[in-house]
Amino acid sequence: MEKNNTEALNWVGKRVKRIDGPEKVTGELKYMTDYQFDNMLWGKVLRAKYPHAKIKSINTKKAEQLSGVVTVLTHQDIPGFNGFGIVIPDQPVLCSKVVRCTADAIALVAAETLEIAEQALELIEVDYELLEVISDAEKAMLPTALNLHPDGNIHSHVKIKNGEVDQAFQEADIIVENTYYSPRQMHAFIETEGGWGVMDEEGFITIRCPGQYAYRDRMQIARALAYNPERIRVISSPIGGAFGGKDEITVQIYLALLAMHTNGRPVKIHYSREESVIAGIKRHPFKVYMKTAAKKDGTLLANEVRAVADTGAYASLGGEVIALAIEHSCGPYKIPNVNLEGFCVYTNNGIAGAFRGFGVNQVCMGIETHLDMITEMLCIDPVEIRKKNVYHQGEISSLGHIVKTSVGTYKTLETAENCDLWKNREKYKADVSEPWKKRGVSLATSFHGIGMGVGLPDYGAASIELLPDGKFLVAVGCEEIGGGNGTVYAQVAAEILKCDISQIKVVQGDTSKTIDGGTVTASRSTYTGGRAVAAAAPNMLKLLTETAAEMLEVPASKVEVNPNRIAANGSCLTYQSIFDYLYQKRKQTRVEGHFFLPKEKKEIEGSGGAPHHIYGYLTHVVMVEVDTLTGETDVLRVVSIPDAGKVINPQGLEGQAEGGAVMGIGYTLFEDVLIEEGYHKTRNFTDYIIPTIRETPLIETFPVEEAEHSGPFGAKGIGEVVMIPIIPAIMSAIYDATGARIKHLPATPERVFNALKALKNENIQSAR
Amino acid sequence: MIAGGTDAAVRMKEGKWRPEVWINIKGIHELRYISEKDGAIHIGPLTTHTDIIRHTLLQKKADVLVEAAREVGAIQMQNMGTIGGNIGTASPAGDTIPALYVLGAVFELRSITSVRLVPIEEFFIGPGKTILKKKEMITNIIIPPQKANEIGIFQKLGPRKAQSISIVNVAISLLMGKDRKCLGGKIAFGAVAPTIIRAKKCEALLTQQPLTDEIIQNIGKIAWKEVMPITDGRATAAYRRDMASSLLERGLYRLLRRWENDGEK
Repeated sequence: MEKNNTEALNWVGKRVKRIDGPEKVTGELKYMTDYQFDNMLWGKVLRAKYPHAKIKSINTKKAEQLSGVVTVLTHQDIPGFNGFGIVIPDQPVLCSKVVRCTADAIALVAAETLEIAEQALELIEVDYELLEVISDAEKAMLPTALNLHPDGNIHSHVKIKNGEVDQAFQEADIIVENTYYSPRQMHAFIETEGGWGVMDEEGFITIRCPGQYAYRDRMQIARALAYNPERIRVISSPIGGAFGGKDEITVQIYLALLAMHTNGRPVKIHYSREESVIAGIKRHPFKVYMKTAAKKDGTLLANEVRAVADTGAYASLGGEVIALAIEHSCGPYKIPNVNLEGFCVYTNNGIAGAFRGFGVNQVCMGIETHLDMITEMLCIDPVEIRKKNVYHQGEISSLGHIVKTSVGTYKTLETAENCDLWKNREKYKADVSEPWKKRGVSLATSFHGIGMGVGLPDYGAASIELLPDGKFLVAVGCEEIGGGNGTVYAQVAAEILKCDISQIKVVQGDTSKTIDGGTVTASRSTYTGGRAVAAAAPNMLKLLTETAAEMLEVPASKVEVNPNRIAANGSCLTYQSIFDYLYQKRKQTRVEGHFFLPKEKKEIEGSGGAPHHIYGYLTHVVMVEVDTLTGETDVLRVVSIPDAGKVINPQGLEGQAEGGAVMGIGYTLFEDVLIEEGYHKTRNFTDYIIPTIRETPLIETFPVEEAEHSGPFGAKGIGEVVMIPIIPAIMSAIYDATGARIKHLPATPERVFNALKALKNENIQSAR
Repeated sequence: MIAGGTDAAVRMKEGKWRPEVWINIKGIHELRYISEKDGAIHIGPLTTHTDIIRHTLLQKKADVLVEAAREVGAIQMQNMGTIGGNIGTASPAGDTIPALYVLGAVFELRSITSVRLVPIEEFFIGPGKTILKKKEMITNIIIPPQKANEIGIFQKLGPRKAQSISIVNVAISLLMGKDRKCLGGKIAFGAVAPTIIRAKKCEALLTQQPLTDEIIQNIGKIAWKEVMPITDGRATAAYRRDMASSLLERGLYRLLRRWENDGEK
């Protein structure tokens, strides 16, 4: 495959319009939760009334007797394994003995209407015995704490040690030390969790439910049902937003269980926003202690990190989140001495799991803020200190491994220092609209691993089928999650098949139509899915060429593939005629492509999967304006400088960069799901504040293309890092504007105002 | 009784307001009007926030009400929600109520057999509570039009700029003399007490000296004494007290700037 010959590219690197664009902007597209059926039943889930309690008894009799109720199910009705969870299936499908958070499910109801189903839930009698609520992760770690799971409350403990940390701290010229707190962010996807399930006369189960890995969802369903997975079809695409929140099982198992008891009638579950807030997975709140040492010239010497993550009641991907956090806790720098440690801890605070950034958001603020503090103490330029400390391709990272793949950090920093906002920052800062407003400009850089890391299966697969009308059907398991990967797949296929993009149809996320190609998570779907399509396409070319040679009775070497047709010896064949020929001969018209992600050979001991083989890098420059009278922070401008390798679709990249920036603004300034003593204080979007268009600044995207040769046409992944460095960049810009450091996110007006007030009092004190 | 339903529908969904019968009055066109007669502005209770925002008479002679209506929830809420509903719901954080306070609004309340006029300050009793009797409804909102030298402003602080519930809000209306001399003024705070609060101590200071930036700051500084906020999910009481001062200072500053730039309306 020609990966670097970019001049000749027709589709890759071009601003190709989204293939699913028209039906999305017109609203014509139906998401799976939009469907209604005449004979459909409504499913509802009975949740735990208390965050921690023993279940003494469950009585469903009255609910069953309610007119219009079709079925009521409890743990006794689960034919297979009563648990789910991507890595450790410790979350009960339906609780039997104990509830550990208010997200826990106890019973399922299917009824003729939503109202009857809701009424039925109220008729289910559950007798509880209340248990002590564990609401603080650090207290949960104490040996005296009540255990939520048999092996204790520490779900995972990861460690990375490198060099001589104690000695380095002794020799250091500067040491900075701080503790950072981060919020429980909600994915806030437009489409709340939901879907529908149906079982046909032959016992074949179909589940339509947005998810991030149809094959794994199917496996988890089959395990709970003790059912042959081949007899289950999962359709998981398109998704009305997920961001990691639909990586784990949401309602698939409930749907399948109910479908087994409804006499073939389809059953639908669709969470209200309020139910989604309580039952849905959230981002882990972290407490991160960090101590960083540097030399007088700005060279980083040592970093010590201790991170504690509140994973809530069940594991889901908590262990992997803390592992990725620790792997990324030193930033894209080469710090020779590190001592890094992370704990993932069970509490009764809902459930935390996968979310765009996957732990890196919570740690990036520490190292980047420390770099800025060191910069200020040493009076050096914030870009220079970063350029000095970043690792380059072939160098050793802070983890002690050689980074063999492409590293674009240095180039992103060069682009940052040459961008208008950074170069003219003093001019922009002076331009405040009212005397009590203050502006600050700051930058930060970060990175994010692509794919699963060492020790986890990670492969991509795609198929391409020649259709009767001469078009190609590209089938990839990775779901359309909103980022536009389907367009990327079409571009890659059209490029290699030398055809117009209108000749390509794409199907995604359907166990009956796509082969298992892994998740749409971990910034991997462009890289992995694109590479799998790039592996399948030459097979299709080969099939076309060989068939044409056979048809025209010429050697295959004489066959030319021209745009949209095949030629040899002056004769032309359409793809349609090739299909007809293959069909008549009863020959296969479908080819496959498989791709195993390259991995590091050795895991860093105790790290839980580090290092990754490939990382995406990104630098953000931001300008904020702080209203010092109220503490309101307004992000006015953002420059996003990703190193995504070769950009396959600049328009798609900009979409990701802009969406990521806004999500990062929300994380830094507004968002937090408040839980007190195990109960959610945040109910819905009235009190969960996400940015609106009025909080959306001007966002510019300047990609740096540091080609990664293992990727399709040199592409890497970008889905997560787009929301990461903006977090410390905003924090630092608030400091630049006002002199107040916020270490507890979100930086709400009240927190910023109080920090300003404290600063004022400090200044008065020191003036005395 | 349901009009725009922007509050009622939410309460219904929460299972809180489930009366046997809802009377939908939204379609009564006779109660949706804005007019000026006999030296007073009359606003029908079913007038939507969007109607208010777009009306030139109100833009000219009730500017602070227009500004407040513009800050109500989202555009969709402004289209559906009515001023009568905003008053009847009697939320301490209701955005149009402080504006109506400083404009000196009077409500006409009618039942089948009676009609009475009640000044706004006597209407609200507590959060969600008014003196409205069981078979009464608001049928007219009467406000004296602003004079040529009268200007107003509405300032709101929410957890974000758009679509939010007020942490604190303030409406100010000033009668201006020459230069920065203020001849009289009203200040009303929202979301800092069970009902809207008039800041009478601050009001008294408005006319003492010309409103220089320094005087404005001083007036702002004492605002916290006038309010009695609580701590809730949106903010602490301490922050709300500080914000009463900040919003008053910010509002007066912006209002004076506007006065100087535009002069008499």
